Amino acid sequence: MFKKVLIANRGEIAIRVIRTLREMKIASVAVYSQADHSSLHVRLADEAVCIGPAMARESYLSIPAIISAAKITGADAIHPGYGFLSENAEFSAACRDNGITFIGPSPKSIQQLGHKAEARKMAVKAGIPVTPGTKDCVYKDAAAQAAKIGFPIMIKAAAGGGGKGIRIVREAAQLENEMNMAQSESKAAFGNGDVYFEKYIELPRHIEVQFARDSHGNTIAFPERDCSIQRRHQKLVEESPSPAVNKKLRESLEEAAVKLAEAANYVGVGTVEFLLTQTGEFYFMEVNTRLQVEHPVTEFITGFDLVKEQFLAAAGETLSFTGGHNVPYLGHSIEHRINAEDYNRNFAPSVGRVEEWIVPGGPGVRIDTHVYAGYNLPVYYDSMLAKLIVWAPTRALAVARSRRALEDFKVKGIHTTINAHQLIVESPDFQAGKTDTGFMERLLAPAEPVKA
Amino acid sequence: MDVKKLSKLTKWMETTDLEEITWKSGEDRISLKLNNNPEHSTTIASTMEPILAPSIGIFRFARPGKTNHLKEGASVKKGQELGVVEVGKDFKSVTAPADGLLKIISIEDGKPVEYGQPMFFVEPK
Repeated sequence: MFKKVLIANRGEIAIRVIRTLREMKIASVAVYSQADHSSLHVRLADEAVCIGPAMARESYLSIPAIISAAKITGADAIHPGYGFLSENAEFSAACRDNGITFIGPSPKSIQQLGHKAEARKMAVKAGIPVTPGTKDCVYKDAAAQAAKIGFPIMIKAAAGGGGKGIRIVREAAQLENEMNMAQSESKAAFGNGDVYFEKYIELPRHIEVQFARDSHGNTIAFPERDCSIQRRHQKLVEESPSPAVNKKLRESLEEAAVKLAEAANYVGVGTVEFLLTQTGEFYFMEVNTRLQVEHPVTEFITGFDLVKEQFLAAAGETLSFTGGHNVPYLGHSIEHRINAEDYNRNFAPSVGRVEEWIVPGGPGVRIDTHVYAGYNLPVYYDSMLAKLIVWAPTRALAVARSRRALEDFKVKGIHTTINAHQLIVESPDFQAGKTDTGFMERLLAPAEPVKA
Repeated sequence: MDVKKLSKLTKWMETTDLEEITWKSGEDRISLKLNNNPEHSTTIASTMEPILAPSIGIFRFARPGKTNHLKEGASVKKGQELGVVEVGKDFKSVTAPADGLLKIISIEDGKPVEYGQPMFFVEPK
């Protein structure tokens, strides 16, 4: 096992990783930008090093600075968290070339599965249903290729993620314009302008399966997560298991994830994302070759520590469970992403000093956060303040616990999305488990006049 | 309102715990707000200028195969290379910001530095 691990990230996820390291008696090294010198991960880690200025490109995204920090501190492994360099094959290769273990899959796996068009090909080969769409990236004959799929279609960035570089085209006349926008957006965000087309499925659910695999061939697929509640392709609420998935469908989803992990000879934890139609068909969407923001809901219902499984797999050891592809689970878990955004002003980002910060606790409540009273929010990074995760024996009890915990959450000085989450939990559709990717749009739309 | 009155008003305001006042007299109207942001009210009396590490890495007084005999008290020219920070295969140049005297060297050859760490202090001429 590793002796010292550097965490190439910031915020709540850096702290999440430090906590597992501490439980495993492994030393931790935090890296930080100048804007983050008072961030909590810097204080909680055993060591901390300043790696650059506020701009992520010169700090959290700088491969030479992070490798240098690992060498200076003598770290033998690097955990990339999520975002930043977590799905960067070049970074994974730079770690390997410098004799440092990257906590994540091999550069080859990241390239295969992180590139959406490549991953799709692999899914087809493994016999997993995919949404109708172009087999490769679209470079020419865009109109003919789009017509073949049938409108509406989605233009997606091959190197994309986090909802960036996705455009919906409803008719042929919009195609050229949208195609240009998607390409330039993708080029700006990911340095790669390749795009491909996919059939746009109306109001699907976003379902994903977490898997873990070690170098001895043990593969686990965890019960699905439902991440249908999104706003502008950004997830707000995630839960596990999904209220829309029965035992039979769960088995098919898990089987598909296991097949894909095995086909890619993947080592580490990853997530396969699917679209679930209103009529119960599922289609492969993409693979995330990293730990995900919403991993705690899986941890809550299964009792696993997914970060620990990452370390076990990366160290060449066996996963903590080797008794087959499926694991038992108990109850229901819901995660709320609390962001520094003003829900009353169309989710405009909020910055400033956190004057009061009182987090909920009690039975079945977990908070992952880097925020504390007196913390000044830097403007340079994403707006997530905390993840509130609840667990209860049933979904109805979990919703009740969410409601209670959101009420307990007291923040002053900045605007947060706590009230948006309260609106979600009070929604009869949410309480009934009737959610899809159009849920937020409907919830936030002005109320329709009452029908006579 | 004349400057004399204004300076009297501001002096008085500093003796109170007021943060903001509005003063009105006939046509005249003035609002004063105290700048109590500690980041801006800090002044350092020293004339020395720190030279900060441009990157995390290993500090070297000279590039490979070269030598450099810097001593405290030596005079330096603006733009003169005082050393390099080795990060990966790259060497980031550390240069004097102005003509002056090298008053303090706070780094040793071959030592790791963090981004922004002060390594030299120069007193500009």
